[in-house]
Parts: sequence; structure tokens; C-alpha cells
Amino acid sequence: MAAKAAAPDVPDAQLIARCIVGDDRHAFTELVKRHQSAVRACLRKLTAGNHALADDLAQDTFVLAWRNLKSFRQEARFSTWLYRIATNCWLAHARKRHEELLGDRDDSVAEDDGDGGGESSFGGDHAAGTTMKIDLERAMALLSDAERAAIVQCYHNDLSHEEAAYVLGCPVGTVKTHVLRGKQKLKRALAAWAPSAST
Amino acid sequence: MTTSTNIDMQARDPSADWIDDLLLRDAHDHADYISDGGFTARVIEQLPPAGVLPAWRRPFVMLLWAVAGVLLAVSLPGLAYDVARTAYTLLAARPFSLSTLGFMVVAIGVATWTAAAVALRRD
Repeated sequence: MAAKAAAPDVPDAQLIARCIVGDDRHAFTELVKRHQSAVRACLRKLTAGNHALADDLAQDTFVLAWRNLKSFRQEARFSTWLYRIATNCWLAHARKRHEELLGDRDDSVAEDDGDGGGESSFGGDHAAGTTMKIDLERAMALLSDAERAAIVQCYHNDLSHEEAAYVLGCPVGTVKTHVLRGKQKLKRALAAWAPSAST
Repeated sequence: MTTSTNIDMQARDPSADWIDDLLLRDAHDHADYISDGGFTARVIEQLPPAGVLPAWRRPFVMLLWAVAGVLLAVSLPGLAYDVARTAYTLLAARPFSLSTLGFMVVAIGVATWTAAAVALRRD
């Protein structure tokens, strides 16, 4: 994804060291330039296409990264560490939003969260000519936060289950479970796009 | 849930492939580089300000050094007298030639510029 970014003449580790030792903001600017695309893309996926929110969370991610650079122990790639912070930012935001919704949650919202409601709406959208990408984005929004995060890390960010476990801060088995359940929900929601249905 | 359980569940799910393909294709479609568009500049603006020394710190430190020097001179009058006398002998009472003075000025200038260059190298 970051292939079109400037070729890294100086390795990330060296830039990080300059940030820590010399409070070097030029080095951090280079790090942000290198990784902003990947982090923003990850958050756009997690926020189900809400670009403004994703960019706000991406800014928070990099500010937090700057503040906590000293705690980065190089046990993972810097990009993976950034994904971890980004996911935590998004989860914190999602939690806050859920708490706000708890007070005035009505029946229609509850229906939207259920699998059945999502499935019926997809049929109608499909008939109206909605593209598969939009359907997938809406189906992703039906997943639980953990399921969506696991699928985004494993498929969109192309991380291994072990790396995804590091990002999500949970055991590898839990990641696999979230991925599996998420895919099952997606299959139900996107049944109209199944090969047997489309042929 | 254990790993083996996940594998078993996947084995019982033969139609999972098309979802995998769909997700991978979507990931590939969204892999385009997102242009910076001022994002980096906004992040750098939000960083906490660099650790600058408060304005009162420099005069306060100088005052402390002055107090320490006076206290040392008062507590060790003989030593202070010897140091002052030696300094006078070395600097004031000794006649310097013009070339020596010129050499000292050049040396001090080189040292100052070198120190400034090293200090500003990061910028």
C-alpha cells in the first residue's frame, strides 16, 4: 500500500531513534509521511467508509505514537505498532459512541444491528443496482467491532493471525474465531453475491 | 476457542472461499496510495510543543552560579586570592604580541562557529 510513498532512504528504526534522542520533528514528519496512507486506509475500513472520522482518528493515532515512541520496543514492525494504536483509538471511539447510543436506542436501531434486518435490506439494494462494494461496506458495518477489526487486520492490512493478535491485543485463537464469525455473518448478509446466486 | 476448532469449523464451511475472494479483491481495490493532502502538516501542528526552557531559568542559573562563586570566595579566601593573582599574572601582566592576540581571536572565532554549526546541524 505504501509502495507509492517515497523510498525509505533512512530506515524507520533510525528515524525513531532520532525522535526519541533528539526530539527530532523532521524525523517524525518523515515517519508520518511514510505511514499515513496505510493508517488512514485501515481506519477508513474500520469506520465503514467514514473518511472524516477516519482522518481524525488517524491524527490522534500519530499524536499518540509521538507521545509513546519511547515505549516502542521494536517487537513488531512500526507499521504494525501504528495499526495497534489506530485500532485502539477506533475502539475507544466506538465504545464512547455505543455508550451515547445506549440512552436513546430505539427498536429501529436494534433491528439494524441484527443479521436478519441487514440481509433483507441488501436484497432491496441489490435489486436497485447497488454495487457489490457498497454492499460489502454495509455488511462490514453489521459486524461486531472485534469481528470487523479482525477481518480488516487479516485481509485489508494483510497481517498474519499472530500480527493481528498483537494489534488487537488478544490471543491468536480469538482472532481466528472473530475472523470466522465475521465471515459467516458477511456470507449471510451478502448471500445475493454468492457464486450460485449470481450465476 | 482453540485453533483446531477453528480449522474444523472452516472445514465444515465449504462456501467460505468466495467470501475470501471478495475480501481480498476489496482489499486490493482499496490499496491505492492515499495522497497526503496536508495530513502530515496537521499532525505535526497537533504535537505537544517542544520542551523549551522557561524564560526565568537562565538568569536564575546564572544567579546561582554567582552566589556559589561568592560563597566559595568567602569560605576559602586564600584560594580565591591565589586564583585571582594567577589569572592576573597570566592574562593582564603578561605582554601579548599582536600575532598572539590575532591567533587567539581566530581560535575563539573558529571554536564559536564550530559549536554553532554542531548545535544547528539538526535543523
